Amino acid sequence: MEADVKTVRRRPRRRTIHIHITLIVICAVLCAPVVYALLGATQNNSQLLNFRLSPGEFLGDNFSVVWNDRDLWRYMLNSAVMSALIATGKAITGILAGLAFVYFRFPGRSIVFVLVLITLMMPTEVSILALFRIVDDLGMSDSLAGLTVPFLASATAAFLFRQHFANLPANLSEAAQLDGANPLQFLWRVLIPMSWNVTGALFVIQFLFGWNMYLWPLLSVSGSENQVVQVGLASLQAAGEGQSYGPLLMGALVASVPPILVFLALQRPFMTGFALTRDK
Amino acid sequence: MPIYPLMLPLFAAVTLIGALVGWTVWRNAGLSGRRGALVVAPAGFLGPLLTMVPMEACTFEPERTGLDIAVGIVAFTSGAAVLIAATAWIGRALSKPGGWANLDDRAEAGSFRGGAAAAMALLLPTLAVLAVFLYWPLFETLRLSTQLTRRGNPIERFSCVDNYTELLGPTAEWWLLVPLAALLVTAVGAELARRADKVGSGLLAPRLRRVRGWLTVVVVIAAAASVFGPSYRSVFLTTMILTSGTVLIGLAAGLGIALLVSQPIKGRAIYRTLLIWPFAVSPPIAGILFFVMFDPLTGIAGHVFEALTPWDMPNYRTDPVLARGLVIMASVWKTLGFTILFYIAGLQNVSTNMLEAARLDGANGWQRLRYFIVPSLTPITFFLVVTNVTYAFFEIFGTISYLTEGGPSGATVDAMTSVVQSSEWVGDGAARSLVLFVMVLAVTAWQFRATGRRVHYGG
Amino acid sequence: MRLSRRIIAATAALTLLAGTVACSKEDDAAGDKQIDVWIAFTDYRLDWAKARADEFNAKHPEYPVVISGYDSYEVLFDAVSAAIEKGTPPEIVQYFEAATQDARDAVNKDGEPLFVSVQAAINGRADILGEPVVLEDVVDAARNYYTTDGQFSSMPWNTSTTLFYSNQSLLKKAKVDKVPETWDEIEAACAKILKLADAPKHCISWPNHGWLPEQAVAQQGGLIADNENGRAGRAQNIDYTSEELLNFVKWEKELYDNGTYYYSGKQNDWDGPQNAFAAQEVGFLMTSAGDATAIVGAGKDGGFDVEVSRMPYNGDVPYAGNLIGGATLWLTADQGDAKQDGSLAFMQFLNNPKNAADWHKTTGYIPITKAAGALLEQEGWFTENPYQKVATEQLALANGTPAATGALLGSFVSIRAVLTQAIEDVLVSGADPVERFTKAQEDAQKLLTDYNALYGG
Repeated sequence: MEADVKTVRRRPRRRTIHIHITLIVICAVLCAPVVYALLGATQNNSQLLNFRLSPGEFLGDNFSVVWNDRDLWRYMLNSAVMSALIATGKAITGILAGLAFVYFRFPGRSIVFVLVLITLMMPTEVSILALFRIVDDLGMSDSLAGLTVPFLASATAAFLFRQHFANLPANLSEAAQLDGANPLQFLWRVLIPMSWNVTGALFVIQFLFGWNMYLWPLLSVSGSENQVVQVGLASLQAAGEGQSYGPLLMGALVASVPPILVFLALQRPFMTGFALTRDK
Repeated sequence: MPIYPLMLPLFAAVTLIGALVGWTVWRNAGLSGRRGALVVAPAGFLGPLLTMVPMEACTFEPERTGLDIAVGIVAFTSGAAVLIAATAWIGRALSKPGGWANLDDRAEAGSFRGGAAAAMALLLPTLAVLAVFLYWPLFETLRLSTQLTRRGNPIERFSCVDNYTELLGPTAEWWLLVPLAALLVTAVGAELARRADKVGSGLLAPRLRRVRGWLTVVVVIAAAASVFGPSYRSVFLTTMILTSGTVLIGLAAGLGIALLVSQPIKGRAIYRTLLIWPFAVSPPIAGILFFVMFDPLTGIAGHVFEALTPWDMPNYRTDPVLARGLVIMASVWKTLGFTILFYIAGLQNVSTNMLEAARLDGANGWQRLRYFIVPSLTPITFFLVVTNVTYAFFEIFGTISYLTEGGPSGATVDAMTSVVQSSEWVGDGAARSLVLFVMVLAVTAWQFRATGRRVHYGG
Repeated sequence: MRLSRRIIAATAALTLLAGTVACSKEDDAAGDKQIDVWIAFTDYRLDWAKARADEFNAKHPEYPVVISGYDSYEVLFDAVSAAIEKGTPPEIVQYFEAATQDARDAVNKDGEPLFVSVQAAINGRADILGEPVVLEDVVDAARNYYTTDGQFSSMPWNTSTTLFYSNQSLLKKAKVDKVPETWDEIEAACAKILKLADAPKHCISWPNHGWLPEQAVAQQGGLIADNENGRAGRAQNIDYTSEELLNFVKWEKELYDNGTYYYSGKQNDWDGPQNAFAAQEVGFLMTSAGDATAIVGAGKDGGFDVEVSRMPYNGDVPYAGNLIGGATLWLTADQGDAKQDGSLAFMQFLNNPKNAADWHKTTGYIPITKAAGALLEQEGWFTENPYQKVATEQLALANGTPAATGALLGSFVSIRAVLTQAIEDVLVSGADPVERFTKAQEDAQKLLTDYNALYGG
């Protein structure tokens, strides 16, 4: 920071004007799609077809079509529940796996570890058609279980906590054992309180992952009752007669509010999480 | 499983390879090479059974075509490779003094006693999910790729490797031969330059080596493209175009913007927030936004374009080049925030003193960027390349699905989209999935090679 | 890290909530009298169906009917396939005409047929749960299409055909005094329209959907599959290189190349062409009769008159007839007699003369029963809205040959996708029609052969 201050003082002020202008232009371009979407969400089809830059008066109508008639609230609720479950599940399974990998010694630990590691090279997407049949056979398709259970654990979560625990002082567990704590007590009293940072980071990343998940719900959910918002938006493409742009844009905006808020509010844990998974 | 004459030399070959691998690995570990050969050779012999038994060795039946046999050989050797690798790794560890203990990590921290049972109980949730929802589906995908079967119907018919041969149709086009020749020339040039310049102060050799590196990538892609038949070739090339477009443009733009916003100016935090939020928008929603913006009837893009230029806005939905460009544009827009975020973080670690020193030495802005900033960002760049390639492989699908639906004329059907589009005929979709899997493996291999020893596991 | 702690607390609460929600869902799934109806509409037609379901539920509270809407026939088709795989298909499924053969062949996990014939299930009864049976009163065009092996297996609901919509105001301006009826007349009219001072960019549009080229083939008396279009026995061979099909494709390409035809750029896109017509970017539109009400309404909103007429045909060859399109309601097997009667009753209720007439008025789909037609006639509907009669009249012109009845094919949806892809390639990437359709022929044939191999054709 000190260096920054010095440079500011030394440099003539006019040089930063260029930077400001460039940055403002870039920000404007990057924000344009959403600004346009805000505009479009207030207009009906004939206003959009005749192109005008002033807001229309259909904001309420479009919202009502999307929220009430097309059940966007239900898709949003489903998405929220699904994302929260996935994020929580990964945090819990990850903590447990981290505990096992770091504080236990057992024969074949490397083999187990490599088996977990290899799954990093096996994205769900490459076997998604088979996964669909399997989830079907287990009777879980088209349900909350089918949407969440396959994602309740991941190599990333296990590594994140393994790495985090490995970096904690080694004498922690020894001290705990001297106090007569069993592993679960150790986990509860020592590890978890020391892991809020990492847990929060993982939670943010996985919540965004869950909220933005598209392909799997597209394949595995067929009814509208359990559908999530990313797929449910498709039903807004024809919410009136012919293509309906206003409601579609409205839906896209409403569906983007939660992840953007979560992301902006929790940027720091998000970065921490990625930084941690990176040097696994 | 029937044995056909063609398989005998193959069995001999993989057994020999197994023996050689074993010998080398054991020797490198300071153990008896002969023992290694004896342990691993059977793995080479038995490995092919992993794939051949389920397939009933159908590709080696007498009346099969060359393409069938080629696919069969790939399946045959893949089975051998998997078992050889596993046996070599586990066998070597067990042969060393200590036996099973070698397969336990060094403990990073104090250890609980309680042993395997408690540890396995803790690992159970993770292992169960990974086994049921990642390993099993992968094996099921392998099995399905040899079946003729249709979604929604329980009937299955074994179809050998027809699902694969449908995608293949090797031809050596000039666009494979040209880069191959160029690679050869550069490699020879690099070697000559290295020999001529023993001191190592010349600039020619490292430059040629860099060119050689790029050419290798081009040759690998061209070679892969030449293996596919016309219908899948366009899918493969589309995947490559969308991926490289998204990654290269995204990284260049992201670095540029991050440099700007890292300048000591007022309101950095506000700019930063305005720049990075699109990352939280989902790929499908990015598709929706660009779909409406570029809609030929209502979109703002057309109106702006027509106001600024004398031409009509071409319709991206009927223009393959524009369609691909727009998909890339939407993906860059969506991923840019992420790239900027990480480059900003990286730039904070670039040593200010060093830059200041370089400036005093008379290095201009471009030279400082080229020789100081970019090299010190390499780890982050590498991380971003991998993340963005993964994004391009799997997530662009959501954007495509709303923006172009793969059109026009299949110009934006990438590997993932082609899997989903063929999901009615599950076997075909499974074969396409495995081709995508091979692409993922190739990227992973490149990742390992590039990071070298920086990525190490299990200790 | 207070924030994270709060997040985690919130999550725990959410998880509990989710658990409760999941459990409560299990409970209402237990209501085994529920009749699930899956249809391929998400627009005002879904609202219409839901309103009818509410009325039915008021009359028959013991059979709660629940309607679910899907984005398109293709998506619904996938969803049903998935539900079949899962073993929990809905009671009533709306399958479109191209899926008729698939529906006939569909089996459950035990290899039993998935659907039962509606005609057989009704078994000659005159009313079910007090709802008069209307299946026997269905108009001939639909009856012929959906009667296979002598069984009227599914209950028609929305039935349409392709119609031609003209922007009358634009035609007047261009001094075209007669709505074109043949391909040549379209070209002549378009030449005049495109010469106008404030001419639209293009003259005509229609969706790139397999149904339209199939209509053109039928009009010219051509077949797209052997065994009399699959009506004399299971179709074994596709014909995508017939002169009739290529005539149409070449004509479409010519119109596209000289800027007459507007391609929205998406396959199976019904909305794009319709929007272009509504925005007066084109003067002519070929699309389903099911959108007639909406299109005439869009004309009113946009301040121009819409003329509805027969689908234009190739004037060089004799006219054989136009096909129906649309969908029927299929009845899944193993519902148990009581529930099955509930399902059948709903099907009859949905199509009773009053509802069928209202459906026609709302959408433009043809009045599906003769009684509904008579009711509308009596109300003076057709005198007020003569355009609403065009579809019924066009279908009555068909000569009854297999060409005009339409093809029955397995995997028809994928086979159609091959056709639309080929057309897109011909238009957009300038592929040669004959070469490209020779390739399409191979691809389509593979799909049919694979299908027949699986289903023991």
